[in-house]
Amino acid sequence: MIPFALVQLRALITKEFQQIAADPRLLRLLIAAPVIQLLIFGTAVNFEVDVVPTAIVDQDRTSTSRAHVDELMADGTLVRALDAAQPDDALAAMDHGDVAAVIVLPEGLDATRLRHRPAPIQIVLDGTDVRRSTVAASAASRYFAQVDAPPPAIRLVPRILSNPTLDTQPYMVPGLAAMVLVITTTLITAMGLAREREVGTLEQILVSPIRSPVLLTGKVLPYAAIGLLDTGLALGAGSLVFDVPMRGSLVFLAVATMLYLLSTLGAGLLVATVARTQQQAFMGGFFFMIPAILLSGNMTPVLAMPKWMVPVTYLNPLRWFIEILRANLLEGSGFRELWVHLVMLLLIGSTLFVTALLRFRTKLG
Amino acid sequence: MSGRGDIEVDHLRREFGKFVAVDDVTFQVPRGEIFGWLGANGAGKSTTIRMLIGVLEPTGGDALVDGISVRKDPFGVKRRIGYMSQRFSLYPDLTVRQNMAFFGGAYGLSGKKLNDRIETVARDVDLTELLTAKTADLPGGTRQRVALGTSLLQEPGIVFLDEPTAGVDPVSRRMFWDLIRRISGQGTTVFVTTHHLDEAEECRRVGLMVDGKLVALDTPAALARDHVPGTIWRARAVGIQAAVPLLVGRPGVLDVQPFGSELHVRVDGLPKEMLDDWLRPRFPDLTLEQGRATLEDVFLAVVGHQEET
Amino acid sequence: MRFSPGRFFRRVMAMARKEVAHVRRDAGMLYLAIGMPLLLIFIFGFGVRFDADDLPVVVVDEDHSEQSDALIEALTASGDLEMVEMAEDEPAAELALRSNRAVGALIVPHGFGAIRQRGGTGEVQLLVDGTDGTIANMLLANTESLVLATSLREQRVMPAFAVSVSTRYNPAGESAMFLLPGTIAYVLALVSVLLTSLAVAREWERGSMEQLFATSVGTLEIVVGKLLPYLALGVLDVLLALALGALVFDLPIRGSLPMLALGSLLFIFGMLGQGLFISIITRSQMLATQLGALSAMLPSLLLSGFLFPTDNLPLLLRAVSVLIPARYLVALLRSVLLKGGGFLDVWQDLVGLLAFALVTVAASTASFKRRIA
Ligand SMILES: Nc1ncnc2c1ncn2[C@@H]1O[C@H](COP(=O)(O)OP(=O)(O)OP(=O)(O)O)[C@@H](O)[C@H]1O
Ligand SMILES: [Mg+2]
Repeated sequence: MIPFALVQLRALITKEFQQIAADPRLLRLLIAAPVIQLLIFGTAVNFEVDVVPTAIVDQDRTSTSRAHVDELMADGTLVRALDAAQPDDALAAMDHGDVAAVIVLPEGLDATRLRHRPAPIQIVLDGTDVRRSTVAASAASRYFAQVDAPPPAIRLVPRILSNPTLDTQPYMVPGLAAMVLVITTTLITAMGLAREREVGTLEQILVSPIRSPVLLTGKVLPYAAIGLLDTGLALGAGSLVFDVPMRGSLVFLAVATMLYLLSTLGAGLLVATVARTQQQAFMGGFFFMIPAILLSGNMTPVLAMPKWMVPVTYLNPLRWFIEILRANLLEGSGFRELWVHLVMLLLIGSTLFVTALLRFRTKLG
Repeated sequence: MSGRGDIEVDHLRREFGKFVAVDDVTFQVPRGEIFGWLGANGAGKSTTIRMLIGVLEPTGGDALVDGISVRKDPFGVKRRIGYMSQRFSLYPDLTVRQNMAFFGGAYGLSGKKLNDRIETVARDVDLTELLTAKTADLPGGTRQRVALGTSLLQEPGIVFLDEPTAGVDPVSRRMFWDLIRRISGQGTTVFVTTHHLDEAEECRRVGLMVDGKLVALDTPAALARDHVPGTIWRARAVGIQAAVPLLVGRPGVLDVQPFGSELHVRVDGLPKEMLDDWLRPRFPDLTLEQGRATLEDVFLAVVGHQEET
Repeated sequence: MRFSPGRFFRRVMAMARKEVAHVRRDAGMLYLAIGMPLLLIFIFGFGVRFDADDLPVVVVDEDHSEQSDALIEALTASGDLEMVEMAEDEPAAELALRSNRAVGALIVPHGFGAIRQRGGTGEVQLLVDGTDGTIANMLLANTESLVLATSLREQRVMPAFAVSVSTRYNPAGESAMFLLPGTIAYVLALVSVLLTSLAVAREWERGSMEQLFATSVGTLEIVVGKLLPYLALGVLDVLLALALGALVFDLPIRGSLPMLALGSLLFIFGMLGQGLFISIITRSQMLATQLGALSAMLPSLLLSGFLFPTDNLPLLLRAVSVLIPARYLVALLRSVLLKGGGFLDVWQDLVGLLAFALVTVAASTASFKRRIA
């Protein structure tokens, strides 16, 4: 029986590639789009808030106050975008979105200091972007805390492992690759099967002696191959263009990628068993992809999610794969450190696949 | 074609919930026969076929197709038969050859064997020049031929054709039936459903379904004899349709049916002269010819009878 | 033929009615239009935050002195850092980082207590797992300010300045306030492009588009008529998202509603035009959705200022982001909702949106004309 199933599988795969080849636009999209996207978004993602446009309201107008302002701006985080005479003018500029911080230096700085009283400094922040306001607040407080202070009692000596300069790209680009991959693989499988249903060829296959595991395997293998190719291209581009290191073993990476593809393709198949039309398949695929991408921990860390949300992310294949990619590429981790992740991917993938298979079978009766 | 090539249906039954789509059907089809399976829309024809090809499980009874039980080994059945569904679909974006290669592969054919079969079948259904054409570009009738050819790739002992000529023009239909006869001549059993009763006359035997039940089964001639008693006279004249009220209810007249521009008058031992006497005064250009009951007459008689009871 | 506004309007309405019938027969579209805002508001309101507390750290105390105990107590008591385990030495701590049990390690080196007793500056080391830069930055900033505060407390010196920080628009510092206005724009971007690219590509596949050509309806009328019902769905989405944001997350609406409506309408029109354009040039559902997803899903997320500030982008991409309409709507919504921005604050954004809408509708009409010719 085995050669028989293999012949069928080969026929399915050949047919799938012939269909892809019949519309070269699709092939181009499948192969070029992930890489191009990776390059664009890889350049775009940058979490470092390096510049906060700041308005200075210097009511003291002495050489002391001017010196403080200069030193405050020295490290480049706060950038002087406006000098305002009145706090109200500065606040109006903030309303308009021109500045994100206002620093008010009161009159009589030197006099206050002479009386051995702390001089009051007012800082007003635009709170819309939490990250930016945090950066601005800590830059200002750090400066004013060290003015005229004796050497500190305790000093922090940080040492950063695996990405010492904390560049955004090395840890974001692998995650982006995973995101881009889920779009290609999940949607295409879901819609491919739905299209066969719409056109009626699925019924014709079902009356032939192809068993459903063979059918589903034949339906996903071509896209698994394309997905694997895409991953290779994306990671290659990532390491060439964005200096993402590749410290781990490639074999491990390939295994992990295949397990990951098992779950994205499995999700596509599951959607396809529910959907009657391509349109429904697309929407189903979308409702899987959107939460998977946004709750993957790539753009905002899982640690920042509310506690009750964290267990939900255990079900997200993207989350595991992104952790694998980061640990493998940046730290060189392998089976020893990441076996839990592999097991999770395998569990999620095979559950999706088997559920799709069972649903597919029972729907025929 | 090593199998037995026959079909034995034994008290086959299928329910959908409370609804009985196929109700206790029993019959046999010997090898090489063209067997017609007729019935109104929703009578249960496709449901019967779907059980016989191993896709739909019977809720009662069983059938041996090519000697294999559809209950016990539906996959064994699938591998031995060919099937062309009511809505056979090919991949529109692939060529005829690519389509055939795929479906051949689905039946386990590969390599030289597959290529030989594609060539042979393409010759059988007159498609050789079209193998490299894109399927989407073919006209409907040709696509049906491709579909038929595709269902013959694995050299099945039996082919099931569910309304293969629906929506096909008359010329292509005639060509298609030439093919069916050719296939049957090669020893393949053909199980075919159709709504074109003139086509069904070509079958060796036909079975008639009404509401899931098999109500008649025989050769077209025997069905006509048994279900449409008496003699049929085909009356032709200008405006002959107006004669219906003149004839209905007369002693000896069993049935009056308009049939195209003719009137089919079925009588019970009534001599031709009598009819002539009744009609000639009103229709001077009358001609009367003895006719044979068509399957359409049979169909109407049987279905009408079923509805009365 | 002279242009007659009355007839134009009637034909547009006829097209729109047909399209409405489509949408109504197709429950899937409604699910998408209603489900998407629910899902995204939920995700961005609850699930996505920029700041984390309780960052898990391991602690290595090589000193075992009174001072080191006090320091560790001071650093881990705040709730910013959570001590998940004590490790023997640095290699053990590194292992904990590599197996993702903790994101950082605090190491109090041998001799810390002695130095402090002498009045010197004691050093405490922080080992940071760099694989997630976001977390790493957070850990660095949090620990640094904790150390600074502890240091000041121990010195007992009078600070030179009393810094008072006040935060406007979002005093509680909630990520949701930053994200929700952008979420509305994102929902609209996804729903509009996807609905139209699917709807029209399907008509091409089924051949019903050819039929339209046979009628005497003008191309602009077809384009506008096709867009109108989806415009209505888009407006429904805005209302839904605003209502959810206000009810569940206390999202304020400080600015004027007409400004909000104007910006959203222009944006929806532009995105619908983009979807239509895609479906006209691809004429295949599979391709149209891929292109639609590619052109709307990630760019609107990553290049619009929704998640990352656009002024961080490299110059080339900043130029690209000028072409991403979501960028203008994100800015407009933030300004109007959170800051009560008026016309003077957002007119540039409105101009950007208007330009985009005009370009996409013109492009669809033009490519449509070419198809017919
Ligand atoms: N999967 C199903 N579930 C429920 N009812 C069904 C199912 N399949 C068929 N039926 C019903 O069984 C009856 C017989 O259907 P079937 O398709 O066999 O008719 P048919 O004779 O082939 O008609 P047609 O000439 O229209 O093709 C119909 O009333 C149909 O609605
Ligand atoms: Mg039928």
